[in-house]
Amino acid sequence: MATTAWTHERLEQLRQTRVWRSIFRRGPARTNRTRSLAVFGNLALHVLPVKVREKSLSVRATYYLGSISFFLFVVLTITGILLMFYYHPAVPEAYRDMKDLVFVVSNGVFLRNLHRLAAHAMVVAVFWHMFHVFYRGGYKPPHEFNWVIGVGLLLVTLFLSYTGYLLPWDQLAFWAITVGTNIVSYVPVLGRPIRFMLLGGHIIGQNALLRFYVLHCVILPLAAVVLIAGHFWRIQKDGGLTVRDDHE
Amino acid sequence: MPGESKAPGKPEEKTAVSRRDFLNEIAGGALTIAGIGAAVVTVNYSSPNVLFEPPTTFRAGKPDDFIDPVTYLPDQQVYIVRSDKGMWAMSAVCTHLGCITQFKPESEQIACPCHGSKFKIAGTVQAGPAPRPLPHFSMVLGEDGVLVVDKLEIVSDSEILKV
Amino acid sequence: MSENNSYEAGLSSDALRQPQRIVFITRKTSAKVKGEVGPQLMSFPHVILREAIAFQILTIALVVVALLWDAPLEQLANPLLTPNPAKAPWYFLGLQELLHYFPPVLAGVLIPTLVILALVVIPYFDVNIEGEPLWAHHRRQRLPIFVGVVAGLIVFLAIYQAWTVLVPTVLLGALGLTPYFNPTSTSRFQRFLGSRPLPWWVMTWFIAVALTLTAVGTFFRGPGWSWVWPWR
Repeated sequence: MATTAWTHERLEQLRQTRVWRSIFRRGPARTNRTRSLAVFGNLALHVLPVKVREKSLSVRATYYLGSISFFLFVVLTITGILLMFYYHPAVPEAYRDMKDLVFVVSNGVFLRNLHRLAAHAMVVAVFWHMFHVFYRGGYKPPHEFNWVIGVGLLLVTLFLSYTGYLLPWDQLAFWAITVGTNIVSYVPVLGRPIRFMLLGGHIIGQNALLRFYVLHCVILPLAAVVLIAGHFWRIQKDGGLTVRDDHE
Repeated sequence: MPGESKAPGKPEEKTAVSRRDFLNEIAGGALTIAGIGAAVVTVNYSSPNVLFEPPTTFRAGKPDDFIDPVTYLPDQQVYIVRSDKGMWAMSAVCTHLGCITQFKPESEQIACPCHGSKFKIAGTVQAGPAPRPLPHFSMVLGEDGVLVVDKLEIVSDSEILKV
Repeated sequence: MSENNSYEAGLSSDALRQPQRIVFITRKTSAKVKGEVGPQLMSFPHVILREAIAFQILTIALVVVALLWDAPLEQLANPLLTPNPAKAPWYFLGLQELLHYFPPVLAGVLIPTLVILALVVIPYFDVNIEGEPLWAHHRRQRLPIFVGVVAGLIVFLAIYQAWTVLVPTVLLGALGLTPYFNPTSTSRFQRFLGSRPLPWWVMTWFIAVALTLTAVGTFFRGPGWSWVWPWR
């Protein structure tokens, strides 16, 4: 069609401009060399390998559970940041802000639902991913350390979910966290001091909410990003995904 | 040069440390101290020194205000118990996982809704997963005739205030 | 390939540590390593495209459900009033159910710590490297050990009256024994069970217990953590 040809020509012209070529260096990815560069030369993508085994791409090989876990993390980060615009981590504003988000803010209820749904889905996905990796032997040498990174990610996910649970400051949140932090105090020797530092005091109040907010929005997401990067990097360096032979 | 190498075959002699090794050790030691110091400072920072929490010592009222065997003070989460032997103040927080218990007059029991722990009005565990009895708080009769309870001071079950 | 190829085959001496590679040296060609390589594709576009599609499908599914299902919001937190029952988030309800049977130090601290340690340690104890089925060798010697461990576990659980853990243990124990008593069964299921190695049984038991605990904690526990039937 004439319009498509015209558009293509304009795009080609754009691609030849000096400005474009100062940003995008490799040219269109039409040869294996430029396709390699698309991954190898990219800041975000070079954590992936340049080539993968074909059988690792089938849905039945991994059910894409690892990818799903990562995508859910991305969704949670985006919705979480947006929710932060209206949320004050203070008592009693926190609960008022929840009501605000649900009843007043445009699309607030949708974003909140999405955030909570993705959170529950991520816990399920991460557990399912771990069990599936176990059953297909993806922890065997040389992938041992990546499994350990994965366990770390599991703990970070659970702790992220737990700290987020307190933030609405409703009855469900408050008493769920009461039970949880009281379990921590049963750890021998260090239990009570850890609980004191976690809550910023003896009771679940203003300090606890703020600390859980900082954990949930800054500390744990940073830890997750570092571990995720390591997790992807190890897959590339240890020889790619493990696929069970009967799925070839 | 001193400290460079040991002659093979000789028994272990204490040789002088080379300049490089000495500086490395000093640097390593300094970094370790700095690291430990940073960790200690962070932990101390994270433990608040002043808490903006409700006061733990409170005036409960005159003994004659408490006619029921068990009165629950909701603001303090404390039971004031009155028996023929005397009175005592007891925590209403279940010793299992921190839920607030409730007094059931019909069964003369204090019950926790979370996991089904049951306590006698003396505080001892009658049923359920609670590991310890409900602690008793120090309660004294002030000079103006008002009971004063200190929630930070735990006393034994046998200390009963005679009124 | 010519009809009279002569091969020389060699195996690595340490079969446990090295993936097995078979070297076929034919006369006119150079040595080729036939490993587990297989056909490969360029990550760009094949991986990137599939990941993008997966992300879009996931987003659509999430958005549809988020539009239909509202997240709960109860009343303002009241430190003076404990709701009855006070339940943890669903992924901790299994733990809370376990707390109903065992003292908090055991169920709340010890067991989770041991579970995490066990998970971390799996790859370093050469778990399941060979994937040898549980009942393939030494059947006579393994039977009393298996029965002993399962029976000991059942007794321990019965003492603490931890029925929610006991029922899946009995079930998995029985399933684990069937390949011993039916070694020549032709049913696909029986042959599947018979080929499972010990680590598979341990992990499957763990998952069965965790699922049962979580399901009971979510649906079958009401006020005072008493047993309720979910349809009432």
